[in-house]
Amino acid sequence: MTGRVIVITSGKGGVGKTTTSANIGTALAKSGFKVVLIDTDLGLRNLDLLLGLENRIVYTIVDVIEERCKLKQALVKDKKNPNLQLLAAAQTRDKTAVNAEQLKEICDILKEENDFVLVDCPAGIEQGFQNAVAGASEAIVVTTPEMSAIRDADRIIGLLATKEEITSVKLLLNRVRPNLIKSNEMMSVDDVVGILEIPLVGIIPEDTGIITSTNKGEPIVNDENALAGKAYRNVAERILGEEVPFLDLDEPKGFMAKIKNAIAKLKVKV
Amino acid sequence: MLMEKSVVENGFIIDLSNIKNTSQLVFELSSIMEHPEVKGKNICLKLGSLDLKQSQLLSIKALIESMNASIAFIDTKSEQTEASAVSLGIMIKELSEELAADISADSEHAEQGQFVQEVVEEKLEAAETTENEENKVVEVYAGVEVDHPIETTEGIEDIYDEVSAEELSEVIPSEEYEKTNFGILAASEGLLPTEETSKYILLDTGNVLPEGVEENSLNNESVSTLYINQTLRSGQTINYEGNILIIGDAHPGSEIIAGGDITVWGILGGIAHAGSNGNITSKVRALKLNAIQLRIAGLYARRNDTLNVPYVQKTNEFTPEEALIEDGKIVIYKKLRRD
Repeated sequence: MTGRVIVITSGKGGVGKTTTSANIGTALAKSGFKVVLIDTDLGLRNLDLLLGLENRIVYTIVDVIEERCKLKQALVKDKKNPNLQLLAAAQTRDKTAVNAEQLKEICDILKEENDFVLVDCPAGIEQGFQNAVAGASEAIVVTTPEMSAIRDADRIIGLLATKEEITSVKLLLNRVRPNLIKSNEMMSVDDVVGILEIPLVGIIPEDTGIITSTNKGEPIVNDENALAGKAYRNVAERILGEEVPFLDLDEPKGFMAKIKNAIAKLKVKV
Repeated sequence: MLMEKSVVENGFIIDLSNIKNTSQLVFELSSIMEHPEVKGKNICLKLGSLDLKQSQLLSIKALIESMNASIAFIDTKSEQTEASAVSLGIMIKELSEELAADISADSEHAEQGQFVQEVVEEKLEAAETTENEENKVVEVYAGVEVDHPIETTEGIEDIYDEVSAEELSEVIPSEEYEKTNFGILAASEGLLPTEETSKYILLDTGNVLPEGVEENSLNNESVSTLYINQTLRSGQTINYEGNILIIGDAHPGSEIIAGGDITVWGILGGIAHAGSNGNITSKVRALKLNAIQLRIAGLYARRNDTLNVPYVQKTNEFTPEEALIEDGKIVIYKKLRRD
C-alpha cells in the first residue's frame, strides 16, 4: 500500500495548522484509516499537546534520524484510536537538526504502511517549511479571512507551485465568523477563494470549543455537537474524495426561521 | 445556618493541639490536607495553646481553602490565636471536652500530634437540632460519644468500622501511621492504588538504557552536584553526570538528565531523568512533583492523564515528594524517606 502524504502549511503562524492536523488526522483515523501525524515544528512542538500525548513521548523524530531508536519505537499511539500515531518533534533542538532528504526518507517509509501521513509544518518559509514539504505530494494551505494571513498563504501557494512533487494544493479557511462577514467586517469565503484561486477543502467556523479542546488535549472532532468538529469531519470526507456540501454557517434570522432550524436539527438527530 | 448544616453533614476535626511550633503545624496540616477524603469538607481545627498571628492563621486558612475545603471553626486555648481568628472572621468554638480528652487518650496519636476524625454522618443527622448553633455542634459531637464511647484505640477503630467500606478504602488504617511514620504514603501502599488514581504509570519501553550502560547501585553522595539557580524553560536541557540541584521551577518542555539524583526546589513540570548512567538508587525530588515524565535509570513513567496540568501551575502550596525505584516500579513518597 502506498499512502498519501499531505503537508499542512500556512506561512503565517497562529492560523490553526496544528489544530487542523490534529483534527483531520483524528477524523481520518476514526473512519478506519491508518494515519501518522508528523510534527516538524522542532523546538516549538505543540501537536503532542493537542492530542494529549505529551507524557507518552520517549523518542522524537531527531532520535530516529540520529539513529538512537527505530522509527517504529518513536511512533506514539493515540490514547483512543490505535489507527492514529504521532511522530513527535524534538523540543530541545531546532530546525537545523534535520534536513529535507531525511524527512523525505521518513515519509517514504511511513507511507508504505499507512493510508495517510499528515505533516504539520512550522510557520515561516525557511528550512522548517522546506523540510516539511519535502516528502509530501499534496498540500493543504490553512488561512484565516484576514489580509495578513491571505498574503502569507499566497506566498506559500507560490512556493508550493515550484515543487514538482506536489500535485494538489487545497485551501482550508479557518476561523470564519459568519456574522462579521454579513456586516462586511470580514472577507467572505468567495473573496478569499477569489484571491487565492485554489480549490476549497473546508470552511471551519470560529468556535470557542477549540480553546477548551486544546487545553484538554482532546481534538474537537471527537465532540459530536461542536460545529467546528463537524466541519473538520467534512474536510476529512472531502480528502477521501466524497462530495460533501459546505456547512451553512448562516445563523437564521427571525423567530420563525430559528424554530424551523431547531426542528431541522432535531430531525437530523433522530 | 447553611454552614452549620454542612459541618454536621460534611466535616472533619483535625486535632493539632500537641504541635508546638508553626512550621511543624503547617507541615503536618499540609500532609493531612493532601488526603483525598478531606477535599470539599468543612474542617474543625483544634489548635491547642499555640500562638498564631493573624498572617499565620491567614496562610493556614489559604492552605485549607486551596484544597477546596473550608474552616468551619477553630478550637484554641491561646488568646493570641483567638484574636487573630476574630479579626479574620473565623468562628471560634470549644469542642466537647470529654470528646477531646478521649481522642488524646490514645497516646501514640497524641505524641504524633495528628488525628483525623471522620464525623459519622448518620449519627450526626440523628442528633437533635436546637436553636442555639453553638450548642448544636457540641451536642452533635456528644451524640457520637454517647453512641460510641471512645476510650481506647480500639474504640476509635470501632468508629471507623461503622463507616462504609468504600469510604474506608482511601483511609489509611491507624496502625499504618506508626509503620510509615505518618505522611509517608507510597503509591504502592494503598493511597493511590489503581491505574486510575496513581500519579505515574510505567511506560512499556523495553530496555532504554544505551548500549554499554549497566544497572548499578552506586552511592550518589560521593559524586559532584551541579547547582543551578534559575528557572528552566521549555526546550532547555541540562545534562550532567553527577547530581543536579535546581533552585527554581522546571517548566513543561524542559529536560533534566542527571547521572545521580535530581532535586528541584520549585515546581518540576518537565522531564526528569535521574540515574541516566543506570544507577537504580537515584531519586527525583521536588517541592511540587508535576513532571510530565519521570525516568529513573531504565524505567520510564508517564504522568497519569487524569492529572491534566497543561501549563505550569503556580501555587503557594507545596507538597514535597520524592520518586524512587521500589520493586521494579517508580513510587512516590510524600516525605523524604530516611531508612
